[in-house]
Amino acid sequence: MISYFKAVFLGTWALVQGLAITLRYLFKPAVTVQYPTEKLLPYDAFRGALIFDPATCIACGLCAKACPSACIALENQVHPETKKRVPKVEWYTLDLGKCNYCGLCQEACPTKPKSVWHSLDYEIAFSSRDEMVRCWKAGFPLGGRTWDAKKKAFKDPKSHISVRELPARKR
Amino acid sequence: MTQRAGKLLTATRYWPTELWANPWSLPRYRAAAAWLGGIVAGIALIGAGVGELAAWGDRLLALLGRLGLSAVVVAWLWLLVKLGCVLGVIVANGLWAVWWERKISAHMQSRLGPMYAGAFHGWAQTIFDTIKLLLKEDVTPAAADQVMHALAPVVAIAPCVMAFAPILFGSELAAAKLDVGVLYIFACAGISVIGIVMAGWASGNKYSLLGGLRAAAQMVSYELPRGFSVVPVLMFAGSLDLAVIDRAQAGYWLGFFPRWFVFYPVVGQLAFLFFLIASVAETNRTPFDIPEAESELVAGFHTEFSGMKWSLFFLTEYGYVLLSSFLLAAFFLGGGSAPLPFLDFIPSWIWMTGKAMLMMFVFLWFRWTFPRLRVDQLMDFNWKFLLPWSFANIGLAGAFVWRGLG
Repeated sequence: MISYFKAVFLGTWALVQGLAITLRYLFKPAVTVQYPTEKLLPYDAFRGALIFDPATCIACGLCAKACPSACIALENQVHPETKKRVPKVEWYTLDLGKCNYCGLCQEACPTKPKSVWHSLDYEIAFSSRDEMVRCWKAGFPLGGRTWDAKKKAFKDPKSHISVRELPARKR
Repeated sequence: MTQRAGKLLTATRYWPTELWANPWSLPRYRAAAAWLGGIVAGIALIGAGVGELAAWGDRLLALLGRLGLSAVVVAWLWLLVKLGCVLGVIVANGLWAVWWERKISAHMQSRLGPMYAGAFHGWAQTIFDTIKLLLKEDVTPAAADQVMHALAPVVAIAPCVMAFAPILFGSELAAAKLDVGVLYIFACAGISVIGIVMAGWASGNKYSLLGGLRAAAQMVSYELPRGFSVVPVLMFAGSLDLAVIDRAQAGYWLGFFPRWFVFYPVVGQLAFLFFLIASVAETNRTPFDIPEAESELVAGFHTEFSGMKWSLFFLTEYGYVLLSSFLLAAFFLGGGSAPLPFLDFIPSWIWMTGKAMLMMFVFLWFRWTFPRLRVDQLMDFNWKFLLPWSFANIGLAGAFVWRGLG
C-alpha cells in the first residue's frame, strides 16, 4: 500500500519537475538566429571566401604553387618601356568552385599584410559557373568581380555580407 | 587582435552564450512579452468576439422582435446569429491556438517560432496557413471510400460545434440554456469518435485504420473517468446546468477565499486533475496522442487527408481543447467569478475566458513536456488508476455532501 502511494507520488513529482523545466525554458531567450535579418559573425580563424588585394601583391606566384586544387591563376604586369616583368599583378583569378578552403595560399603569401586571405564571408552561393571565378585587376575591390560571359563585362559578386568591409585581414 | 565588424552586419548577434548569461537581454524580454501578449490577445480575441457581441445580443433580439416578423422566424434568425457567434469563436480559436501553440513550443525549445508573417512575432502565420490550406489540392486516395472519406471530417467537427451550445462564455453567457448541459456536452463530444473511426476506415490505409481504432479505444475509455471526475462537481452544485454550477462557485469563504470547486479539500483537486488528464486524452494530444503517433502511424487517422479536410480535423482538435478549457474553468475554477472580492467589477466573460486561456496554456504545456504513452500503458493508466480513483473521489464527495460541507 505504501509502495503504491509512493510510486504514484514519485511519478507525479517527476511530471511536475518536467513541467517546471519546460516553464523555465519558456522564459529563457531563444538560441536560434533569425538568419537573413540577424547574422552571426564567425570567429577570426574562420575560412570563408578568399579575398585578394592587388595593391599589396608582389606577383610571386607562391599562392598558385601552394594551392592543392589549382584554383589560383595570375599574370605579372609588364613594364611598358623595358618590357620587363614588375612585381605587380596584371590580373589574378580565384576559382571558388575549385577552392577547398584549406588556407595554404594564405600561409604561403609572403607579403605583410597578406595579399590573399580568407575573409569571414560565408554567404557564397553561385547560380552559374561564371560567378564561381573571382577576378581582380588594378582598382578592383577586395572582394573581386566576376566575369559575365554573356554580357562581356565584369560585375560585382552577389553577397549579403560586404566582404570589402570585413576585418580579420591576416598578418 | 583583429577588430570585430559587428557594426557592419546589420543587427548582428554573436554566439548566444553571452545571451544565456544575461537573463535581462532583449530576446528574453521579447519572449516574456510574446507570452504575456499572447494571453492578453487571446482573451481579447475570444472574449471580445463573444462577450461584447452578447451585450448587443439583447438589443439585436429586441430589434428582430420589432420588425414584425413571426415568433418562429425571429427564433430561427436569433439561432443563426448565436450559431454564427459560436462558430466564430471556434474558428478564431483555431487561428489563435495554433499560433500560440507554435510560439509556446518554440520558446520551450529555445526557438522563436514564426517570426515573419505579420509585423509582430508572426501573428499572421496561421491566417496565411489557412489560405494555403484552402488553396491546396484535395487528394482522395484511390483505395479510399470516396463518400466516407469526404464525410469523416464533417462528422468529426459537427459534434464539436454542437457541443459548444451550452458552454458558458461568462456567468450567464451561453448560446443555449440547457438543464442537462453537462450531459449534452459529453454526449456530443462522444460522437466525434465516429468521425475519427470513419476517417481511419475510409482512408484505405493500414496506418489510418490503426490510428482510427486506437482513437476509438482511447476516447471511449477516457470518456468514463472524464464523466466520473465531474460527478463530485455535480453533487456539490446539485445540477447538470452549467449556469447553476457557475453560480454555486460564486462567493467567498471568510470573505476572501473563493468557493471554487478546485479548492474543496482533496476531492476538488483530485477531480480537477482527473478531469484535466482525461480531457487531454480525449482531445488526442500528447502524452495521449497514440492515435496520431508520428513515429508509429505516420499521422494516424488523418494520414490520407489534405487541404481543408485535414484542417477540419485540426480545427476539431483545437475546438475540443477550447471546449475542455472552458469546461475546466466552469467546473473547477469558478467560471465567471472573480478570484478576489474586490475584482468583481471586471465582467464575468473576462474571468471566464482568462481562466479558459490559462487552462489552454496548461494543455499546450503538457503537450510540449511529456513524452507519449504506450498503448498498454495508456489503457492501464485509465482502467487501473484513473477510473478506480475517480470512483473513490465520488465516494469522498458523497461523504462531504453527507456531512453538509458541499
